[in-house]
Amino acid sequence: MVGNDIVDLVEAKSASNWQRPRFLEKLFTKAEQELIYNSENKFLMVWRLWSMKEASYKLYTQQNPSRFYNPKGFECHIENENGTVRYNNFKCQTKTKYTSNYILSEARISDFKMTSKVIGLKSDITNIQSEIMKQTLLNEISTLFQVSILDLKFKKSELGIPSVIINSEEIPVSLSYHGSFGAYVI
Amino acid sequence: MTKDELIPKLKTIIAPYIQDEEAFKNLTEETDFVNDLKINSANLVDIILDIEDEFDIRLENEDMEKMLDVKSAMDIINAKLER
Repeated sequence: MVGNDIVDLVEAKSASNWQRPRFLEKLFTKAEQELIYNSENKFLMVWRLWSMKEASYKLYTQQNPSRFYNPKGFECHIENENGTVRYNNFKCQTKTKYTSNYILSEARISDFKMTSKVIGLKSDITNIQSEIMKQTLLNEISTLFQVSILDLKFKKSELGIPSVIINSEEIPVSLSYHGSFGAYVI
Repeated sequence: MTKDELIPKLKTIIAPYIQDEEAFKNLTEETDFVNDLKINSANLVDIILDIEDEFDIRLENEDMEKMLDVKSAMDIINAKLER
């Protein structure tokens, strides 16, 4: 099982204002807020922590099917590109990659190598973006598992948790879109 | 506040963040912020902060947890206003 999250830095600048009053208090623990204030680039730290929380939430809800909005509950600790995120008794590992265009985080239970793939999405229509992502993901799984794409089915549970069905086997996947980027991982 | 009073106020608040015009036009109590309106989860906090400002209330973590659709938003706002 896996969770991932991508943050388009241009989109994060234009669509969110992390400096608005109470924004940080609502999303981040005291320790995380301190980490942000002590960072050279506060903007990047805000969105790195955010992407770690989102990736971990997606992993958590794969293991524990549910839906809620509690970013602050996912407590992040970071060490270089690695991270640990805790939510109540749940604990997972994260890895984060920065480029000048985006921040990408991936979460799994135990140590791992990051395998999320990023694609540029030209359309800004969410439905088209999600269709492009699904097709790219199915193509990749088709190659990886050497099965015809016709035998694959993308599924979203009632709670919105994604997976791909190969014959009767269900493979957990994670997808993320933000601004002009999408990321998917198997 | 009644449904008829609350829904227009909520619509004004969430309008800047929606990414599905059609779902927004047909908004009902059942409309989901993320699944239907395609609001980015990073913007849910903005909606929460805008609600706090508009209604002069403060939402706790437990309230935020449930803020996923129009109905829960209305319930939470009303519960806070009654206090």
